[in-house]
Amino acid sequence: MATVRPDDEAFEALFTAEYARVAGIANRVLADPHEAEDVAQEVFIDFHRLHSASAQYARAWLHRAAAHAALNRLRGARRRQRREVAQAAEQSTQSVDPQKQVEVNEDRRRVRQALARMAPKPAAVLVLRASGLSYAEVAQALGVGTGQVGTLLRRAESALRKEVTRGTSF
Amino acid sequence: MVDDPDAHDSADARHFESCPECQARYKAVAGDASHVATLLAAPELKVDLASAFDRVRSAPAAQPRFGLRLPVLQPGRRPMVLAFAATLAAVALLATALASGDNIFSPKTITPVPVTVADLQSISQLSAYGDLTWTTRPNLQIAANEAEAQSISGLKPPKVAKLPTGVSSTVTYAAMPKAVAVFTFSKAKAAAAAEQAGKPLPALPAGMDGAKLTVTIGPAVAEIYGNLSQPSSSSDLTQANLPQLIVATSSAPVATSTQVSVKQLEDYILTVPGISPQLAAAIKAIGDPSTTLPVPVPIEFGTATRVQVQGVDGVALGDNTGVGSGVIWIKNGLVYGVVGTIKQSDAIDIANHLT
Repeated sequence: MATVRPDDEAFEALFTAEYARVAGIANRVLADPHEAEDVAQEVFIDFHRLHSASAQYARAWLHRAAAHAALNRLRGARRRQRREVAQAAEQSTQSVDPQKQVEVNEDRRRVRQALARMAPKPAAVLVLRASGLSYAEVAQALGVGTGQVGTLLRRAESALRKEVTRGTSF
Repeated sequence: MVDDPDAHDSADARHFESCPECQARYKAVAGDASHVATLLAAPELKVDLASAFDRVRSAPAAQPRFGLRLPVLQPGRRPMVLAFAATLAAVALLATALASGDNIFSPKTITPVPVTVADLQSISQLSAYGDLTWTTRPNLQIAANEAEAQSISGLKPPKVAKLPTGVSSTVTYAAMPKAVAVFTFSKAKAAAAAEQAGKPLPALPAGMDGAKLTVTIGPAVAEIYGNLSQPSSSSDLTQANLPQLIVATSSAPVATSTQVSVKQLEDYILTVPGISPQLAAAIKAIGDPSTTLPVPVPIEFGTATRVQVQGVDGVALGDNTGVGSGVIWIKNGLVYGVVGTIKQSDAIDIANHLT
């Protein structure tokens, strides 16, 4: 009979509490729920292999890893192409106004391209905050002081707007 | 502070109530934040927790149960990294083997010893001569940040004053509390190992059966520069990145032994078949084995030179081609290492300016 180790129970509790949020962070970056879940599962697998679920830093680690893993995936050219093909297929099967859907998808693609061009830290700050993490949680995930988060966010927002504008000016 | 109530205190709030300038800035910033939130809108995500958990649980078990998972290697770099891994293994074995009976092995300085792949294979056979048990298992962890790395290891991560051009400033912290291993030599195991090898190895010296070597390694802390992200699909393994630079510090390893003297162990190592004359000479040349940490240098893959680092003797490995180099030194009871895909001159410069 298999025995359940305390760490397995702790991992299940951590997974139950954090999976949706970790997947949400990845989805915020990728704008693709299927790919976001892939990333979230890989993040949990990596975590489980290397760390104790009862570690104090577990949540912060997961949040940071989700943001970075998704941003790295966003930067992968081949994956980006695949994602765009998948999104186009998804778009063709949706019943909403096709013209509107095309615009929404184009906006998402443009913003994600801008996000991929940003430096990792500002991009992660934006994504974590937009995923509903508090300033304290963003600070823990990125290893900065809570007081720095506001400034980092402002700069990151400005950088994203510039990148989006740059992307459309060509 | 504008969009998180927990991020400002009551004094901030009072000031804000009475400051039109702050209110105007708040409005602008809130407008920006709202615009960015719109930009970052994402399609709805519905998760199936149970099936996601099943997929995660059914993932294959980790290969290394402890320690950093090495980034996947470009095929062309494998020999060098294998040599590096073998070097680390040999450091542990040599340090263990050179521990003395009466004196505690507690290195205060460092010396390079040239080893061949055959040497490493020969030395590694020694590990079959007994039983290794961990009284405190190594638990190398990736830390979320510098403070956490310090809290895990009790050591302050060394600060790099200036990164060489081309090295990413993305840093990952790794830390390990102290680990303690006990190796018990066994006459029966040695005989069995020799028989299995088909090439009888020398018998254990008298008194060595049952001798215990207790080795303490760490605590240790490392800063790993570079993008360490793993590829997300197994078909794209070659897209993974190697660390560009690793800066690490660890308490110097300490070993104590019972029943056998350092001379016995040294003589014994030199009788193991396959040990090269260069290694034998280098081991014999170590003046005080109880205070010198030998750094095996794979002669097929690396060069070693003695250098001065932060006023003490160190060993510089590799060359100036930028393919890979490092420097190792011991100061105030701590072993420091700077290793990376950088020039040797850069490694020495980083080492001299670590704070």
